[in-house]
Amino acid sequence: MITIERSTEQINQTVAALRERFGEKVRAVEQPTPHRLYVTIDPDVVVQAADTLFNSLGARYLISAGVDKRPLNGGFEVLHFFAFDQVNVRCALVIPLKGDPPRIPSITPIIPGAGWAEREFQDLLGIIPEGHPDPRPLVLPDGFPEGLYPLRKDYPYDYKPPLDPNKTFPFKEPPEGTTVVTVGPFFPVLEEPSQWRVFVDGEVVVGCDYRGFYNHRAVEKLGDSALTYNQITALAERICGICGCVHSTSYCQAVEEAAGIEVPLRARVIRTLILELERVHSHLLWLGLACHILGFDYVFMQSWRIREPVMWLAEYLTGNRKHFAINLVGGVRRDITKDQHPRILEVMDKVERETKELAETLLNDMPLLVRLKGTGIFTPEEVRLTGAVGPTARGSGVPIDVRKDHPYAAYDLMEFDVVTYDGCDNLARTLVRVGEIFEAIKIIRQCVKLLKELPEGELMAELPDEIPPYRHGMHAVEAPRGEVFHYVLTGENNRPYRWRVRAPSYQNIQAVPVMFKPGTTIADVPITLGSVDPCFSCTERMEIVDVKSNETKVLTEQELYQLSRQKTKELRGQK
Amino acid sequence: MVDSKVKQLLLALRAGRVTFAYPFEPRPSEPGFRGRVVVDTDKCTGCGGCADVCPTRCIRIIDVSPTHRIIRRYLDRCIHCGRCEDVCRYGAVRLDLEYEISTTNKSDLFIEQHLFMGSCSRCGRCYVPPTPLDRLMVVGFRKDEEV
Ligand code: SF4
Ligand code: SF4
Repeated sequence: MITIERSTEQINQTVAALRERFGEKVRAVEQPTPHRLYVTIDPDVVVQAADTLFNSLGARYLISAGVDKRPLNGGFEVLHFFAFDQVNVRCALVIPLKGDPPRIPSITPIIPGAGWAEREFQDLLGIIPEGHPDPRPLVLPDGFPEGLYPLRKDYPYDYKPPLDPNKTFPFKEPPEGTTVVTVGPFFPVLEEPSQWRVFVDGEVVVGCDYRGFYNHRAVEKLGDSALTYNQITALAERICGICGCVHSTSYCQAVEEAAGIEVPLRARVIRTLILELERVHSHLLWLGLACHILGFDYVFMQSWRIREPVMWLAEYLTGNRKHFAINLVGGVRRDITKDQHPRILEVMDKVERETKELAETLLNDMPLLVRLKGTGIFTPEEVRLTGAVGPTARGSGVPIDVRKDHPYAAYDLMEFDVVTYDGCDNLARTLVRVGEIFEAIKIIRQCVKLLKELPEGELMAELPDEIPPYRHGMHAVEAPRGEVFHYVLTGENNRPYRWRVRAPSYQNIQAVPVMFKPGTTIADVPITLGSVDPCFSCTERMEIVDVKSNETKVLTEQELYQLSRQKTKELRGQK
Repeated sequence: MVDSKVKQLLLALRAGRVTFAYPFEPRPSEPGFRGRVVVDTDKCTGCGGCADVCPTRCIRIIDVSPTHRIIRRYLDRCIHCGRCEDVCRYGAVRLDLEYEISTTNKSDLFIEQHLFMGSCSRCGRCYVPPTPLDRLMVVGFRKDEEV
């Protein structure tokens, strides 16, 4: 059980440890709520401080954010976020930076999961992470002019600089004697355009390189320079096309925390219900797609058939199949009335029954099991280092779940289990998701029960006239893919000064290279990538470059699927 | 193995055909669906509340003179969030159940309203006349009057 005492104890212990080790270099300690801690430290001890939190105190790394504070105090700021699970504490190291370009020692050598976040603030704010093992650009397009940093406050949000067409991305050199298999820029089965260069020796994968952010939409920039608090809720929802509600909920909670707004219980229960509805449909969607990659189109069809009534239910409750637009800062926009309850329960019963039947037949299917079992191994220690979250982590037996560890919305009132499996492979991650569908249905039933008891109509909190500027808020939501984290620094003009979003795939995709263990074959690449559920769709093409002969071979989507499915077929033949 | 295949077959048979013949048969949306944006120009007072909250900022307000306000709704950008409907105190904008609104011509989704407003004698800016009587008296309220 998480109590305030345990949170306070953890915070005191953390502050004491930092003070003891760094003394004067700890400039300020701020504790806006019993579960939040902001420690301002000097830049020269950032690596040691991160080490203290991450290695000595066992915190989990979340994300880093850069802030351009020049209009306020003439400098920059970097925040490294950590979470202490089980005791419901989130902690930020705040590092004020001087000079231009500002420099900060990189924490990536001790926390590999920080690699992207640091490259990102290097690209967008020009804060240089010194000693970063891989300081290549990450976000900006090839040929973006040097010395221009889009997230700085003096960069207009609608400015488009001319790009230099001759500049190309510095891909990693493949190891001696290997062949490069390029997957992407539109990855098979991945919705987002992303490019993977897989280094293979014959059929076997020996390493890989990633290039993504082809579709970076400058959402954060828009949020802190053009939109207002409540307009952002609609934008936040559009960060993901499958699990949008998690973003708007997480964003609203961050703003509510910064402004000290108490959301009415009924609104919190409705948020919980909608979030779980989203989880049910998202996991069913994933199950279908994962099986599609492996050539089990039967499961693909059936699980999408089971999913469809959930989408109709969402449309009935919120007004849209997806992008529910249910959240506003302070509460929700639509009530779930008594006459809607029977239909919710009815759909849930049906989905539960049918998913159970489907899962049973699925898990007795030998070829499927063989394809999933033992591939994409991801150990608990690797989970910790990469900061992987959600079913990706829980499939390795790491029981992190924001709903339990840092209760939000109405999860503190719900009874449910955190589903974990310790197989550490693609099968375990599949089982976790199947299990979570049932847990989600359980939660939805409890929500309906609770809604029956609560008075109708209490949906919005009393809002203050103005959300106080320059306060921090950080909040997370357990999305179907893992923890979604939002940080908001409130600002003037009815909009945030800085808004930082971290989607779960941000950490999980970084974990994929680790999953390509020696012995993985090309045919296992799609499902391993797929198993972290980084938003799937279909491929355009895949290119194979043989380094030795400099020959290029382009595989079409069909051929890639065929490779993956061929393997299943061969297995079927053997049985 | 064979066992599970038989089970799978039975499952599929029981579900039967689930696809619809849409668009050859109608598929009504659920009640409460947020579909096409309909503006009742008679009710709209030009207060600008909807333009304030619209997340895509597709409602633009242009004051061409102290008594003449133009509201342009570029609904090709609309995301059907329904915020405009929420905040409109006059019930002038509504999202109905219609969803077959895709078009090859953007201007099909464009609504322009001309409103005749009260003019503040101090600052000279447009405002919404407070009573229906005041509204009757604003310049150009009747269609045939020259502005
Ligand atoms: S809020 Fe209503 S009355 Fe005001 S401008 Fe918009 S549609 Fe017209
Ligand atoms: S529905 Fe939303 S996006 Fe469309 S006009 Fe109204 S407020 Fe704007």
